[in-house]
Amino acid sequence: MMQTTTNGVGKIAQSDAATLAAYRKQVERLPVTMRPSLNQQLAAWDSLFPFEQRQASAFLNGLGSLEPSALDAMIQPLRTLEAKMGVEHWNFSQAGDTMENASMLARSQYYAEWRDEVQKIFEAVNAIARDSASTASKHPRLVLIVLPDSLPVDALNVWKPWDRRAQIFKIAGDSRRVSELLIQDHADQPGIGALLARQGSLESSDMWLIDADSKLNSIQSSTGGQSAFSLSYAVLKPFRDKFLAEVNTVPKNIEATDQTLNAMRHRNWEQWWPAELAGQDQLRHFVVDLFLSGNGALIFSNAFVEWAASEALRRARPRVIVARFGLRAKPKPFTGIAIFENQQQISALPDVDDPEGSAVDALMLARYIWLAVLRYPEQEQTFGLCISEHRNSAYLIAPEGTTLPWGPEHAVTPEELSAGIGRYLSTLAV
Amino acid sequence: MDETRRNLLKATAALLVDQWAGARLGALANEPSGGVGRKVVLVACGGIRREDTFAESGFHNIPHLYRDLLPQSAFFPFVRNAGVTSHYNTTSSIISGNWQRVDDWGKTPPQSPTLYEYLRKRMGLRQDQTWLISSNKALTSKIGASTARDFGPAYGANVIFPKQLLINAVVHAAAAGRAVHSTDRSTVQPEIEAMLNSDNYDGLGWSVSGEDSSLDKLTLGTMQQAIEDLVRTNAPATGDEFTFLVATEVLRRFAPSLLTITFSDMEVAHFGSYSLHMAGISTVDRLVYELWNQLQSLPAYKDKTTLFVLPEFGRDLDGSSTNGFFNHRQNTESTRVTWMMCLGDAVRKAQIIENPIEQTDICPSIARLFELKNLDLPGKAIPGLWL
Repeated sequence: MMQTTTNGVGKIAQSDAATLAAYRKQVERLPVTMRPSLNQQLAAWDSLFPFEQRQASAFLNGLGSLEPSALDAMIQPLRTLEAKMGVEHWNFSQAGDTMENASMLARSQYYAEWRDEVQKIFEAVNAIARDSASTASKHPRLVLIVLPDSLPVDALNVWKPWDRRAQIFKIAGDSRRVSELLIQDHADQPGIGALLARQGSLESSDMWLIDADSKLNSIQSSTGGQSAFSLSYAVLKPFRDKFLAEVNTVPKNIEATDQTLNAMRHRNWEQWWPAELAGQDQLRHFVVDLFLSGNGALIFSNAFVEWAASEALRRARPRVIVARFGLRAKPKPFTGIAIFENQQQISALPDVDDPEGSAVDALMLARYIWLAVLRYPEQEQTFGLCISEHRNSAYLIAPEGTTLPWGPEHAVTPEELSAGIGRYLSTLAV
Repeated sequence: MDETRRNLLKATAALLVDQWAGARLGALANEPSGGVGRKVVLVACGGIRREDTFAESGFHNIPHLYRDLLPQSAFFPFVRNAGVTSHYNTTSSIISGNWQRVDDWGKTPPQSPTLYEYLRKRMGLRQDQTWLISSNKALTSKIGASTARDFGPAYGANVIFPKQLLINAVVHAAAAGRAVHSTDRSTVQPEIEAMLNSDNYDGLGWSVSGEDSSLDKLTLGTMQQAIEDLVRTNAPATGDEFTFLVATEVLRRFAPSLLTITFSDMEVAHFGSYSLHMAGISTVDRLVYELWNQLQSLPAYKDKTTLFVLPEFGRDLDGSSTNGFFNHRQNTESTRVTWMMCLGDAVRKAQIIENPIEQTDICPSIARLFELKNLDLPGKAIPGLWL
C-alpha cells in the first residue's frame, strides 16, 4: 500500500507531489465516469479540508492495495455499462465535474444503474480502506441551530418531526443567551471553542459559525481558544454581489456555462473577499464552490445558511456547527419575477422584511440541517439543539445513551442548557 | 392579486396577442379552422411533490383543485415520469409520447414527432391551432417541433414565453444600470417596448419566422400605456399570472385545438424558499381553477374541451443529498411519481383511477381524442376517458 506523509491532522504535506502523482495513477485505474470528481479533488488538494483529504487518501490507498485482477473484477460491470451508455463518444471531462458531464449521465437511460454501480465500487474500496485503517475516535459533537427572535415560528415541530429522539423544552429566561453562553468563554464555563482546544482539536474546520446576519461574529469576537470558520451572509455581501453579477452572465448553453463557471472557480477573488476573512483561502474556496453549486446560496440568506452547513458537514465533518437563520425581504413588486437578480440593484424600492415567510423557510431548512447530520456516521455522537428565540423554546436531540438532566416538563434556564451541552462536549472521545 | 394589477396584466397580455395576431393577419377565434370539434388544454406545472398537494399534508395548499375540481374529475394519483426529470426533457416527453433524452437546456428539438406536428400534418391544421405557452425559462422554442423525418417546424406549434418577456425587460434594465422603481416609467417600460418592436423574437422564445413583427401605431400606443401602468403598480408580479393571461387571450382569439401551458412559479424552490414554493403552488391552484371556468365560459370550448393538469415531476426527498425540495433529480418515488387530473369532455365519470400510468401515455390518449390513428407511440391510452 502507498505510504502518505501526514502532519498531525492527516494532511499530506504540500510538498509531497509524489504522493499526489501516485494518487493520480490510481484514479486512472478507475472507469472514466469515476475519474472527474477524484481528479478535481487532487487538483485542488490544498484547498480540501483535513477530513476530505483523509477520506480521499483512504479511498485511493484502498484502491492501491487492490491487485489488478481484483480491481478488474470489481469495475468490470461499470465498464460494461459505460460502453452501453456510449461514454466514449461523449464530450466527457475527466479533469473535473462539469454540468455537461452531469447532464449526459442524467440523460442516459442507464443512469440509475450507473449510480448503483459507482456506489458499489466506492463501498467496496472504502470497506478495504476501513479494514486497513485504525478506528477513528468518536468525538462528541454539537449542531446548534438558532431561529432568532425575528422569526415568528408557530412551533418547532409544526410539520414533520426531525428525529424520534427529539424533545421540546421551554426555556426559563432569555433564550437569546444560549448561543452567547455556548460560544463565549465565561469564568465558570469555557466556550465550545475552548472546549475543543482542550481536547486537542487544532483545525478551524472543526468548528463553523454560519450566520444569515453577523450576530455570531460579534459573539465570537470576544472568545479565545479554538479558531473557527465563521461565515456571515451579511459580511459576504460585496463578494456575493460581484459573484451574482458574474453568474448572471452565463449563457443558456451547457458547454459555455461550464467554461464560465470553471473560470469563476479559478479566478482571483481577493479584492472582493471580505477583509475580515483575509488569508482564509480554504474558506474562500469553500464559498466559491458553495455559490457555484447553486441551491439558493447566492439568493436567500437562509438557503445560504442551510447549504453552507450541509456542505460543511459533508466536506469537513466538524465537531461543532452553529447555524443562525434570519430574515429575507419580500420579493419586490414587478422585479420579483426575476428573483435570481440582485433585487437591491434592479429595484430602487426599499426592502420589506417577510418575517412569516422567512420563518417558514427557516424552520424547513433548520430541519434539513439536522437531516444532513443524519447522513453521516458521526450523527451517533452529535447533540442537536434548535433554539426558537421567538417561542423561547428548545428542540433537543440527544445521542443514544445520553441521559438529559431535565424532563420535558422542566423549563430549562439558558445556563443549565449550556452547562449540560458543555459537559457533553467535555466527555472524552471513545 | 388585486384587481387593478390584474387588469393591467390583462391589458398587456391582450396586447401581446394582438401583436401576434397582427403579424398573422387576423386568424381569430371566430374563424375556427380545421373543422376540429374537440379541444384539449394541457397544463404542466413544474416540480410539485404529492405530499405538498394531493395528500393530507398538502390539501390546504390546493383548495380549488381539491375541493372544486377533484369532485368532477378523473383523477390519477400515480403518474410516473420514467424519463429525465428536467423541464425540457419532461415537457417534450409528454407532448411527444416518447421519453426524450436531449439537451436539458433546449438546444435540440424533440427527436420524435410532437402532438402539434401529428395534429397539423394529419388534420391539416394551421399553426395558430396548436400552441405552447410557457413560464419556464428552461424551455426553448425548439420544443414546438421535432427533428423527425417528414415532420418538423413546418408542422410545429406556436411557442411563447410571456414571463421571459418581463424578465428580460427587468434584466436588461438592470444591465443598463437603471434600477426599477415603481414610479419610474423610464426604466422597464422601454425595455419591454424595445423587445416587442424587435424583428427577432427568438430571444423571447416566440416561434415566429419571416413575418414583420413590428406593432402598428395604435397597438403600440395602447401597449405603451399598459406597460407604463404595469410598471407603476406595487403589487407583486407573478410570471405564471402573466402566462395565464396570455394563454386566455390566445384561447379567446385563436381558439386553438391544442394548447399546452406550463407554469413555473413553484420553481423558486431551486433557490431554497419553501414559503415561496408553496405560494407558487397556490398560484397554480387558483389559475387552473380560473382556466377551467374560462373554458366553460367560451363557446368555442364549452362542452367540447378536455383539460389535463399534471406536475412535470415531484421534488427530491427531504434529507436527500440533492437537498430535498430544492431539486428534482433523485431516482425516487418522491421525484418520479406525481398525479394528473382530467376534466371535461373526455371524462366518463368523476372517479379516482389508481392504476399507475406513465406520462408518455398522455400523448396517445390525446391523439385518440382527436381520432388520430396508427401513430407509432409506445404509451397506451389512459383508462377512464372517452377515447
